[in-house]
This record gives sequence, structure tokens and C-alpha cells, in this order.
Amino acid sequence: MNRSNLLYNVIAIVILALVLFMFWNFAASTSYVEGKITSGGVVIDTLSTIYGYLYGMIPICCVLILFSLAVAFYLEEWLSHRSWQYRIIERIIAIFACIPSLVYGLFCAYFIVVKSQQISYLTLTIAVFFIVVPVTIRTTQQVIQKVDLSVREAAYALGAKRMRVIADHVIPNTFPMILTGIFTTISRVLAIAALFIVICGWKITESNSKHSFDIPNNAIVLLSSALLFSVISCLFEKKKSL
Amino acid sequence: MENKIEIANLKVSYGDTQALNGISLNVHPNEILGIIGPAQSGKTTLLKVINRTLEFNQGISVEGTVKLDGVDINSIGDVYGLRRRIGMVLPLPVGLPLTIYDNVAFAPRTAGIRNKAEIDEIVERCLQQAALWDEVKDRLDSLGTKLSGGQQQRLTIARALSHQPEVLCLDEFSIAVDPITTMRIEDVLKTLKNEMTILLVTNLVQQAKRLANRTAFMLNGDLIEIDETDVIFSDNPSNRSTYDYVNGNFG
Ligand SMILES: Nc1ncnc2c1ncn2[C@@H]1O[C@H](COP(=O)(O)OP(=O)(O)OP(=O)(O)O)[C@@H](O)[C@H]1O
Ligand SMILES: [Mg+2]
Repeated sequence: MNRSNLLYNVIAIVILALVLFMFWNFAASTSYVEGKITSGGVVIDTLSTIYGYLYGMIPICCVLILFSLAVAFYLEEWLSHRSWQYRIIERIIAIFACIPSLVYGLFCAYFIVVKSQQISYLTLTIAVFFIVVPVTIRTTQQVIQKVDLSVREAAYALGAKRMRVIADHVIPNTFPMILTGIFTTISRVLAIAALFIVICGWKITESNSKHSFDIPNNAIVLLSSALLFSVISCLFEKKKSL
Repeated sequence: MENKIEIANLKVSYGDTQALNGISLNVHPNEILGIIGPAQSGKTTLLKVINRTLEFNQGISVEGTVKLDGVDINSIGDVYGLRRRIGMVLPLPVGLPLTIYDNVAFAPRTAGIRNKAEIDEIVERCLQQAALWDEVKDRLDSLGTKLSGGQQQRLTIARALSHQPEVLCLDEFSIAVDPITTMRIEDVLKTLKNEMTILLVTNLVQQAKRLANRTAFMLNGDLIEIDETDVIFSDNPSNRSTYDYVNGNFG
């Protein structure tokens, strides 16, 4: 690793540390103890309200995935790899992508169940943003970087425009691998959603003074679908290597 | 005489590897300039600077100027237009994942030609010039990547000619082509130089001797010598290592 790379890594780590610091500061000031979850001021007493929110997150997830793909293509195809903008963005994304989705999921659950005791689309979106965007950008970037340089050069040498090369060459060659990445991401989100339902279910049972708590069936359904999506993502991977 | 290409003090490095250490040379219009030199001397790099495809390498740095018809290529806003003025044949044939026909039609279409008859005409002419027409005329719709190695190489030559370039850069074009076909292509090159300027990078010094008007000898990123081909291949070129390389007792 050369000196400037080190610098960019340090800057990225400092940014991450700042985010964590802000979070701890804020978490330390907790003054909870009522033990319930509300939605727009109304106490949630069944999980179905939570499911409503999760369904509402589906379109948001799709938008975030598309956004990540766009960012990855922008970084790889438009931005010069030597520019400081590229290097700093690339490092920050790399670091956020290394953090397991479980961490983001637990932070989010902590915030909703313990700290604010209120579920909102904003909180969920922030969590899903961190779970989906960095990983998707990173895997897509890596897939694009693996595209054979010689074919790209040959197309450009014939005077092809950038959009043409991307549409005719980069996308067809990366599509299966990008799909793999997307399916893995979906699987991750589903697994976190299952965890989230379990935590909320437990909280709701407790605040209603019902003392027996069962893992909600839907959590199991979500986990199974997560598994399914992981398996599907492997199928694409195989197809690519043929 | 106006120079077609003027290269002044060109330095290129790939990260830590210095590939060209300050090269200056001029290319005359309608000449075949042979470029010879051992492996790693920077011949391919020199060609890729001219059509600005070197830029896709990460960590590349280019200093110095390259002028095409007196205009600095870095100041040309339309880099796609610049690339269309230059035909490039790379040593390893790179088949675009398209049919034979579409491979050759790619550049004309990119340049905005829509008329089918006109494209048909270009495809046939270029495949003829690349000595490939007779072998593929009945299967223009099959994939270019399914041709044999030598045929793919000729396909890239046809492709490079398809946009009627002003400058044709050939990088070891005959590496996978049999000797008889090579001769046919060489004959085509001799006539093509009436229409365009040709830069011919070759590992076969005899090919430079047969075709080139002038020849440049490169070694480890330096231009050792550039002169009339007769002088380079004579018994007394101005540099001793040129003589050694040309006569095969190098090193
Ligand atoms: N993509 C690359 N990345 C890093 N270094 C490179 C790259 N391409 C070429 N080089 C280096 O640049 C120098 C010149 O290479 P170049 O390909 O221009 O030589 P050449 O004269 O064409 O050689 P050959 O006759 O083997 O084709 C070499 O030292 C090579 O290692
Ligand atoms: Mg070479």
C-alpha cells in the first residue's frame, strides 16, 4: 500500500469513527423505560402494524438497489480512478461495506425498540440504506473492474461512445454477476427483517404483559426466503462461469 | 511537407513502470513507418497513446505532446471522433461478441451510417482488403469469436479499415496469420498507403524491410534511431545496436 492509499484509508476510518462517536453520544443519553413501541403516537399492540411497515420498505429497497447500481457505474465508468474524489468515495464505501448487516440491523432495532420507541420509515430507510447501498456498490464495482479491458479498448478504438460500450459490452458481461450481488443483498435484508420482527414481537408481548413469547411465524417465513434468495444467487454465479 | 503525426518528448509510465522515456518522432503523410524493437520496448504503448485508449489503464501517466495534423490530440474535445480517424489492429485479435458482419459494421454504424446498402458495401470492401472475404462471405451471420485465430486477426484488420481511418496502426498484425495470407495483406497495405498513413509495429524485421518507407528502432522505451528503411537495414546505420538487432545478433 502506498502513502496516498494509506491517507485515504485513514480519512475513511476517521469518518467512520465520527459516525460511531455520534451514535454513542446519542445512545448514552437514553432515558427510556416505558417499554412499548408506537407508530405516529399510537401504541402498537400487534405485529401486523410492523408488517405494514416492512411491506412499505419493499419499493424503497428497490430504489436503493437501483441507486447503488447507478453509483457503481458512475464510479467505474465516469470518474477517473486517479481523482481524489474517486479514491475517498471508494474507501468510505469499502469500509461501510465491510460492516456486517447484522450490526446495522441491531442498531436500527435498538433505536426503534429502546431509544425512540417509535417506528418510522425514516429509521428503517436509514438502516436499509446502510445494509444495501455500500455492499451493492462494492460488489458491482468489483464486477465491472473484472470486465476484459481488451474488448473495451477495441470497442473504444472503433469510436464507440461510452454509453454504447456500457450498454453493449459492460452490462451484458456483468449482468449475471450483478444479479448475484442483488440477490445476496435481498437475502441479507430479509434475514435482518426476520431478526427485527423477533425483537419487536418480543417487545410487544412484553408491553402487553403477555408473558409467553413465540417467535412469529413470519420471521421463519422471512428466514426461509432469505435462504432461498441466497441459493438463487449462487445459481447465477454458476451460469456465469460456463 | 506537413507531418501527419508529430510526437514530442513523449513520456509514459504505468504506475512505477516507465514505458516510454521521452520519445520524439514525426510521421509523414502516406508513408508506412515500420517500428521495430525487442519485447517491452514500448511499441504497443506508443500506438495506444495515439488513439487515446491508453487512458483506460489505471495509474497511467502521459507527458509530452502528440499532434495529429498539427492539432494536439489532448485538445480534441471529441475523443470518439479522434478514435474514428485512427484504425487500430492489436496483436491479440479481440473479437467483439458480435457476428462477423456486425463486427465490421460496428464503426460505420457508430459514425451514423444507416443505409444498409452502404454498410454492405463497406463490409465487403474491408473483408476483401483483409483477405478474409472469400472465407466468410457465406457465413457473415455467425459469431466473429468462432473464427480461427488467424481469421479473427484478419477480422480485426477489416474492422480497423471499416471507418476509413486516416492513420492505420498495425501491431504485429501477422502474428497468427499464415505466410501466404500475410503476403496478400502486405500487398493490400502497399496500395492502402495511397489513402492513409500506416504505422506498422512488427517483430519480423523482414516485414519492415519489405514494406516500410522509413523504420524506427526502439529499445527499452527509447527511440534509438529513425531513418529511411534502406539505411536502417544497411551495413552502417547510425547506431550500432540497430545493426545488431536487425541482423539478429542482439544481446
Ligand atoms: N497494462 C500495463 N500495465 C503495466 N505495465 C505495462 C502495461 N502494458 C505495458 N506495460 C509495460 O510497459 C513497457 C512497454 O510495454 P509495451 O507493451 O509497450 O512493449 P512492446 O514493445 O509492445 O512489447 P512487445 O513486443 O512484447 O509487444 C513494458 O515494460 C511493459 O511491462
Ligand atoms: Mg506490443
